[in-house]
Amino acid sequence: MVTFIVMLCPVGIAVALIRRRTWAVPAGAVVRGDVPERLLRWAAGLMSAGRDEWGQAMVGELDHIDGLGRRCRFAAGCAGAALLLAPWGRAAAALWAMAVAAAGAACVYAAVAVRYRLGAGDWVFAVIALVILASFTLAAATLLRRPGIARPGLASGLFVALAWLALSGFSLDGIIAPVISLWSHLVLLIAVPVLVGVAGTLRDGSAITGRRTARLAAISAALGLYLYATIAVAVLGAGGPPDPGGTASSIVSDRLGNNVIADLLAVPLVTATVGWAAAAATARLRPYPAASLVTVPLTAAGPAGDGDPDPTATPHQAGRAARIASWHQTAYLLLLCAVIAAALVLAAATWLRG
Amino acid sequence: MQRNRPPSAQAIGVLRALAADPPRWRYGYDLAAEVHLKSGSLYPMLIRLADRGLLETSWEPALGSRPPRHLYRLTLAGREYVAGLPAAQTGRAIARPHHRWSEA
Repeated sequence: MVTFIVMLCPVGIAVALIRRRTWAVPAGAVVRGDVPERLLRWAAGLMSAGRDEWGQAMVGELDHIDGLGRRCRFAAGCAGAALLLAPWGRAAAALWAMAVAAAGAACVYAAVAVRYRLGAGDWVFAVIALVILASFTLAAATLLRRPGIARPGLASGLFVALAWLALSGFSLDGIIAPVISLWSHLVLLIAVPVLVGVAGTLRDGSAITGRRTARLAAISAALGLYLYATIAVAVLGAGGPPDPGGTASSIVSDRLGNNVIADLLAVPLVTATVGWAAAAATARLRPYPAASLVTVPLTAAGPAGDGDPDPTATPHQAGRAARIASWHQTAYLLLLCAVIAAALVLAAATWLRG
Repeated sequence: MQRNRPPSAQAIGVLRALAADPPRWRYGYDLAAEVHLKSGSLYPMLIRLADRGLLETSWEPALGSRPPRHLYRLTLAGREYVAGLPAAQTGRAIARPHHRWSEA
């Protein structure tokens, strides 16, 4: 499965990069586009709708600050403030739930490691898992604050988690030793993430919404699955499905390590990447006015969205947009064929090996 | 639910800086430099002061293609609040401009 994922991710990234709409600056606008400004525009987008004015105030102030060091310090401070500023609304409850899931999984891991007297290597793995869990929680904090992302993202995460759990037959044994077949590869690694990306994009026609939905789905599903799988190891220990060779400690150690690789790395990586590609492709294939294909106005909150038309676009820009769209359609079809072919070849190879 | 705690020493420092010339509109970055606060501390503080009605905000007209700049000054309530501050409290605010943990 890991090989499959490693090969699938670059294809997904390629589709997303080709399918994404080009950002352009509105006519006459001066945008430095340096790191502090990008950071601050990103952070300003995290603020609630009622605080939008303050995000724009920070961006406007940054524009009048010279010197990269001072700009970086100013932008970093504002970004930190934007990240923490109230009100959080219902997003706070979702974030708390995800933080509790992450902390719970870490505690169960530690309890299992102590109970089976695992070695230093397992504790190193525990630290790695802890860093990943913390970064997931931080990433969730930023995604949950985006308007219109929390509900579809969490619902999609539940959908992804249920799909993976269905593979395990909703049993503890099944999550430790899942039966991987050809169809399950296709469903879990391609169909489910594609559905998440497409649904997220179709919700408001924006690829940005689609890929953020896919990212939140990936993170929430990963946290849920990892907690479930770690509890499964705690309950079953070295029992459950037969595991050839080794002592009880080594079997438990292997299972804990597999959980980190599968649930904290593979599942979120493939869900986010393929979902991102699907979101970009869906936004591109939807019918838009030609002028909106190229120019996306930059606002304080970053790019305004893939579907936003630019009223300043000229006929020349519209013609260029149409040519680019035509080329992108061809490239997309080629890439789509490549993705389907690669998926079929990989699935067949896995099936033949099994 | 909005909390209505008394302003911190740093917030009082900001109020005092604004009260030095009440009718004058001030920029955020200049204000931060004057009261020795980082942007991450200043903006949440400005937001809280504005929410409490002690501060009013405005936008400076955009120059060319540059983004507009936000401006701040005290409201009448803000001026009255600063005028009613005990001298010891204002003195503490000025004497400890670098202590900003509570606002972070």
